[in-house]
Amino acid sequence: MHFSFFEQVILLVFVIFSVSSFTYEIWKRISIIIKGTGTLPIDRIGERCLRFFREVLLQEKVIRERFLPGLMHALVFWGFMAFGVITLDHFVRGFNGRLLGETAYSIYSWVAAPFAVLVIIGILYLAYRRFYLKPKELGKKSITSGLVAIFITLLMATYMLTELDLPENIEKLNWWGHSFLILAFLFLIPRSKHLHLVLAPVNIFFRSFTVPDHDTVEIDMEASEEELDSMLSGLTKMSKKQALDIFSCVECGRCTEVCPANRGGGLLDPKHHFILDLKDPMLHSSGVDVLGQINVEAGWECTTCQACTDICPVGNHVEKSDEIRRHQVLVEGQVPQEYQKVFRNLQESGNTEGAFQSPLADSLPDYTPDKDYLLWLGCFARYGLDPDFENSVRSFTKILDEAGVTYGVLTEEMCSGDPANRLGDKLTYQMLMEQNKEQLEGVKKVTSLCPHCVVNLDQEYKKYGEVSYKVEHHTQVISKLIDSKKISVSRSSSEKLTYHDPCNLSRTLDEIDAPRNALNASSSKYFEMEEHGNKTLCCGAGGGLWWKKETKGRTHLVRAQQVVDSGAETVATGCNFCFGMMKQGLGPLTPDDQKEIQVKDIADIVAENLVAN
Amino acid sequence: MGILVILEQKGNSIHGMSLEAVAAAQDMAEKLNSKLSILVMGNDIDPLTQQAKSLEASEVIAVNHELLKEYSCDGFAEITKQVVEIESPEFVVMAHTYMVRDFLPSVSVFTGAPFIADVISFRAEDGNSVFTKQMFNSKLGSDIVVRGGSCGLVSFQSAAYQASAVKRGDTPVRQIELSLSEEQVRSKSEEPFQESSGGVDLTSADVIVSVGRGIGEDTKIPMVEELAKAMGAEIAASRPVIDSGWLPPFRQVGSSGQNVSPKLYFSVGISGAIQHVVGMKGSQSIIAINKDPDAPIFELADYAVVGDLNEIVPKLTEALQNQ
Amino acid sequence: MKIAVLIKQVPVSDSTFRPAENELWIEEGQIQYEMNENDSFALEEALLIKEKRGEGEVVVVCMGPSGRAPRVIREALAKGADRAVHIVEEGPFETDPHQIAHILFESIRSESFDLIFSGLQSVDLGMGQTGVLLGAMLGMSTATLAMSTEIQEDKIRVKRELESGWFQWVTLPLPASVSIQSGINTPRYPSLKGIMGAKKKEIKTVNKTDLNLSEGLQKVTRIYNLETDKQTEYIEGDPDVQVARLMDILKSEVKVLGA
Repeated sequence: MHFSFFEQVILLVFVIFSVSSFTYEIWKRISIIIKGTGTLPIDRIGERCLRFFREVLLQEKVIRERFLPGLMHALVFWGFMAFGVITLDHFVRGFNGRLLGETAYSIYSWVAAPFAVLVIIGILYLAYRRFYLKPKELGKKSITSGLVAIFITLLMATYMLTELDLPENIEKLNWWGHSFLILAFLFLIPRSKHLHLVLAPVNIFFRSFTVPDHDTVEIDMEASEEELDSMLSGLTKMSKKQALDIFSCVECGRCTEVCPANRGGGLLDPKHHFILDLKDPMLHSSGVDVLGQINVEAGWECTTCQACTDICPVGNHVEKSDEIRRHQVLVEGQVPQEYQKVFRNLQESGNTEGAFQSPLADSLPDYTPDKDYLLWLGCFARYGLDPDFENSVRSFTKILDEAGVTYGVLTEEMCSGDPANRLGDKLTYQMLMEQNKEQLEGVKKVTSLCPHCVVNLDQEYKKYGEVSYKVEHHTQVISKLIDSKKISVSRSSSEKLTYHDPCNLSRTLDEIDAPRNALNASSSKYFEMEEHGNKTLCCGAGGGLWWKKETKGRTHLVRAQQVVDSGAETVATGCNFCFGMMKQGLGPLTPDDQKEIQVKDIADIVAENLVAN
Repeated sequence: MGILVILEQKGNSIHGMSLEAVAAAQDMAEKLNSKLSILVMGNDIDPLTQQAKSLEASEVIAVNHELLKEYSCDGFAEITKQVVEIESPEFVVMAHTYMVRDFLPSVSVFTGAPFIADVISFRAEDGNSVFTKQMFNSKLGSDIVVRGGSCGLVSFQSAAYQASAVKRGDTPVRQIELSLSEEQVRSKSEEPFQESSGGVDLTSADVIVSVGRGIGEDTKIPMVEELAKAMGAEIAASRPVIDSGWLPPFRQVGSSGQNVSPKLYFSVGISGAIQHVVGMKGSQSIIAINKDPDAPIFELADYAVVGDLNEIVPKLTEALQNQ
Repeated sequence: MKIAVLIKQVPVSDSTFRPAENELWIEEGQIQYEMNENDSFALEEALLIKEKRGEGEVVVVCMGPSGRAPRVIREALAKGADRAVHIVEEGPFETDPHQIAHILFESIRSESFDLIFSGLQSVDLGMGQTGVLLGAMLGMSTATLAMSTEIQEDKIRVKRELESGWFQWVTLPLPASVSIQSGINTPRYPSLKGIMGAKKKEIKTVNKTDLNLSEGLQKVTRIYNLETDKQTEYIEGDPDVQVARLMDILKSEVKVLGA
């Protein structure tokens, strides 16, 4: 095949047009991303590279989360990788050159040709799924997706034709066809969700290892008016990573599919509210000052469970309730009345209930520096948000006593600040954090039955500065005591037992094993629910929603219904909020002819099966 | 000197709560050994005067004025002031209605007489007239007296006295002419209207009939609604009923709903889980129907009815409708 | 438009109340105080009017001890009130509403307010008249139980709540004193800018003891626990007997059945 000068000029014009349009669109987005606050993280570089290898090159997460579509996606992805060289060679030919020698090319074709078939299988399946099966999470019909499916199929078809011995004029026609398809595809990519081809690998590389990962809000009460204004105006600006997220979104809808608020019939749709709704405002304003535009009502529905962020295949930190809530609280002053009450209680009395006395705390030993652990109770246990939870605290202290581990509580323990933090009142949060840090000065080891407290005392406080202590969730302490044979537990529990993973423990603290170790040591009838580990479904109480009076959805019933359907006789949890929420949900959902399902903390199960050493 | 009780008009007859106020005033007059006068004011008040005549008192004072046709704070306060100045009663007694809350404070300023509002009882003690009023979110009681022998304006809480206790008689009527000019009535009122209340304020309801999971199924809700209607109550529910979608969320009482403290909380098929109890334990009286004699709600209730709500509720509704 | 809002610091309504030893007030030890709920609706209504008109001044007037009243005053300033008048009263606390209104009258009479907003009643004393008393003392027109307000030049149109679901619009000439029913609006939360800005706003203090006051008109002689003998009465028997007893209770013990 020979290309005349005229043909080469035409080709050059199209290539320049397509490539520059592609570059322009990409640049437009990059210039927005670099306006974002902060920097893109590059800590733990080794882990980042490994993660890149697994999630991008091996497509591990995509395949794991949705097996068949994921595998088909992987076929297309691997095919694209394989075709990189062939495509370059294809265009060099248009200028009468070759990238690969004839032999090298024909050898490489042996690799590429099978991929052409696999890509066609993959893309046809994906098109079948999108246009025939029409899963709800993919959203409305997308013309570009259809176009892209046709492009890719034709690309592969035209490629395979080149492998046949065609008459010269047909071969050339085929060549031009293939070229235009590629150039059109290039034109389309940055203008559609297919931009994820370019940005998703970058985004996955920069993804944070901390979840949730929101900017800290540090408030200086002595700040000048200008300093305050600049701090407040910063609250609506995205970070570079958040901006990158928006353009990386592939619109697959996994985030909405797993969202407990959405599943409970609520308004919140993370794919749109937290991601896609922000894209146009960014492009129109060529800026990142868009966080104030998140749907407020939807933002208040979020339980901050992080399921959306956890599942995202392109590495987005989807959840943005923190951003919209802190804006509502600190800038707008628009806060649901029940939360105003919680905030006032926190400010006036240091606890969520505005209580003055805790009979439970009074009945436990005081912390002194000679004790092994500071037992952090948390408001839920301290002020009996569910009075039955006191028994669970006693179960834990029974275990500690049995193991000879000493502990004590703080007489002046304040709320860790979790509700204030998650509901956006960063000023109250800061006040509580400072007071708590002062009280915890010099303490070495803290343990708590409340994962919300653990997350805040540990991970969240550390975002604002060093802490002197180490915090362990009580299930971690119990698991260690079992392993080190400080306590003996018999597997005598005979009820059908399952476990509800608390979001804060599983997704945030990444603690999946310790609770299971404790349960398996105590029960021979332990079984997993379908959604477990870091795929757990929120009970509905997270993100301060325990205090919410009215919700559109019935978030707290979805998980409880799963427990009922699982056939469990007892459900264990490792979080006081899950404990309370489960009890409220299971009551009305249990059929009349069925025995009410018991809700217990892991400490209860272990304590019931303790064997005296 | 004496007791002056003012009647409030509702439609063409005496406001139900005003009859209770008459009962209170009769009781006060007897205990204080005072003369009792009844004041009716308005425009074309003959029907009202006729009804007032049948109440036992020394006299009925009737003030007819065309500017009293519609209620206005200025007009009613001005006329009351004039009557108080002419008659100089020891106490002016009314029911604690929304109208009284509106104009009696002005009378207090015009006459220099204290307004002791929303009292629940009266007693004469060592020559003093002592009124009892609830304070601190109705959780404490307080005794209140008028200082320095001036006239006192008193409004009685609904049901502090019973209308059925009113003594009847045949009381002479005295018409008096009082002056009121248009300039004195500064406000302009429009026609009253009713609103379909989508969001009910349970916290201000006097009587609440609350339904729990014990009713079993949503087809039983109308049965309880009937009862609530017959009792003049708002209907409320515990969380399970709301969660099942049987009643809308604004009717929920409990830790995740409203905190209420009505005069009467009538619970039907509620077991008394703590999440519910925290929202209603402040109620002044609690009646509970439940089939389980060990239901925790009974520990809190003043009256415990152990039995089948399917039988009791319709019968009670019928009895209420027939009375 | 110059609007005064009467705010009061009161115990949180679900507190456990105990009478003080002298039986003239409550045991204050373990009580948390907050802005009286009705008053926060009154404040919000005033702020909304000011914001809607784009001009005006909202002044909060609060009587209470120097220990805790400033907290609710600062909260009001943080929400957007322009300045405050704090009448310092260290206790024993005045319980006569006429006297309280008189003290407020003496403290603000020199200012000519177009409007005075107050909460319908307070959680502590629950007299429900202070705002109207003050308005009447100042010669203002008055209205109570407002569920909506509209400013019309030199008038205010008020939607008043009547009994059992009825409402009525009343138009009053300014100046006027209006008491606000809860639920009229959605009270805001102080924004950070509001909180920081509140520090610079003026709080004028008036000492109650500096005012020339005569004796009040009514007096609380005793505060005590109401008799609540929670003896549960079990109503036994067949349904007819139970219903008969219930009717009896409703009529003569709980007394919720009207005439």
